[in-house]
Amino acid sequence: MNEIVLSTSNLAKSFDGKPALRRLNLEVPRGSICGFLGRNGAGKTTTLKLLSGMMRPDSGEIRMFGDAVKSEAQSIAARRRIAFVSEDKDLYSFMTVDQTIRFTRAFFPAWRLDLEEKYLDLFELPRKKAVPKLSKGMRTQLMLLLAMARGADLPMMDEPTSGLDPAMTEDILRILGDLAATDGTTIFFSSHQLAEVEQICDRVCLIDRGQVVIDGVLDDLKAEYRRILLVFDGEPPRELADLPGIDHLRRHGRTVSLLVHTDVEAALDRAQELGASSVEVRPVTLKELFLDHVRGE
Amino acid sequence: MLWYKSWLETRWIFVLFVANILMVWLTPLWMPALGFRLPPGVPASRIWLGIHMGSLFTSFFVANALAGSGVNSQNAYGPKPGIDASMLFTLSLPVSRRRLLFVRAGLGALLTSALVFVMAAYTLFQRPGGASAFLAIEYFVRAILCTVAIYAVAVLFSCLLETWWLFMAQSFFWTILLMLQFKFSVVAWLSPLRGMSLISYPLTAPMPWAPLLASVSLAGVCLFASVLVLERKEY
Repeated sequence: MNEIVLSTSNLAKSFDGKPALRRLNLEVPRGSICGFLGRNGAGKTTTLKLLSGMMRPDSGEIRMFGDAVKSEAQSIAARRRIAFVSEDKDLYSFMTVDQTIRFTRAFFPAWRLDLEEKYLDLFELPRKKAVPKLSKGMRTQLMLLLAMARGADLPMMDEPTSGLDPAMTEDILRILGDLAATDGTTIFFSSHQLAEVEQICDRVCLIDRGQVVIDGVLDDLKAEYRRILLVFDGEPPRELADLPGIDHLRRHGRTVSLLVHTDVEAALDRAQELGASSVEVRPVTLKELFLDHVRGE
Repeated sequence: MLWYKSWLETRWIFVLFVANILMVWLTPLWMPALGFRLPPGVPASRIWLGIHMGSLFTSFFVANALAGSGVNSQNAYGPKPGIDASMLFTLSLPVSRRRLLFVRAGLGALLTSALVFVMAAYTLFQRPGGASAFLAIEYFVRAILCTVAIYAVAVLFSCLLETWWLFMAQSFFWTILLMLQFKFSVVAWLSPLRGMSLISYPLTAPMPWAPLLASVSLAGVCLFASVLVLERKEY
């Protein structure tokens, strides 16, 4: 789990002078399923396009499989080992399922015919069916087939379950989970669906306004963070903002909600010194972490 | 497989224009059927001239259409307005953009050239009095170089412009410019088709070497610029 297959260092990208990514630093270890989270416009799709060579960064560095990706030749070498699944799952409208598979197969010498057959059967994709006649779910399945049969070391997916029904979503998540568990494939995917991320990811990276605000192993993050709810008899003291280890603070009248990252005990002691009449400590969910970091105080 | 993909992508445009050029060739057959009659005394050379110019301009439209459905197909639902959505799928493959353009533009150029070749052969076959081998070569060289230059300009514009109407506007502009040669001698002097629209062609039409050389140069510059544009483009 220690080898880093994907990393960015101070990655920056602007559009018309407006920064989309500001010094983005992230690391994805081999074999992990990394959920890439953020609000709309946070920079998720821009990051995925930079990683797959569709855009060039203004500054910063991308490393894939240990090598820097600066030139087009290096990007092509990386693209032999990755698979990019775009949010809209767009394929060629002038091809059939079979033509799409044969076309993609030609670019990947390590193509797995057994996986091609397996997923064609599993997804019940008709070879002769024209791509425009496929539902969005079927297009997603076809793109997953193309990603898996090529033997990609790093499938990168932009909202892979967007627009799918719950049953189809569950199937896709199960397949992704199996892929990482059995083949040791690293999966990097962006999503708005926190429940999905919590279900299959062992690692999360949360970005906001083009910067990483949380990056780590999901279980570790849940263990490290705590919600402290304080109730005061009067106006909550201003000194609460200076408590140790506080990531975010929210006030609702006489109640204060704190998201504490480190030194929970010290924060608790200090809160009681400041006159809290009631103190409650709770574990946090991924949703709480997400909302606290993207909304802030 | 990129050639195969490009063929699947463009085949219907090609077929459509083959049908179009057939319509031009069959003008003498379908015009009378629709009730159109040429006034008595119109020489066969004038009818031939109509077929010849109609074929040439159809070739130019083919060149524009094939180039316009090029690397950035005109589709409003892509990652950016005007960019074909499936472009993201293409770009995610381990292929250089230079190669993508080479194959896409190469196939379009091959199809256009094939059509021009057949068009030239048919037109010369229909010419009253026949055509010598020298005339056939001259005709083909002039038609193909002019078409390739138009094609290369269209490829460049298809890389630069991301909205279909802008692309159509540039096609219209070039068509008008080519037609102006029949009206203004200055434009005609610059045209690789100089003299080809005259009844007396080929007797009074010396080979316009300078415009032909300029056409080749223009095609080269445009294709080189297209590579530069595509390599720097962001999706």
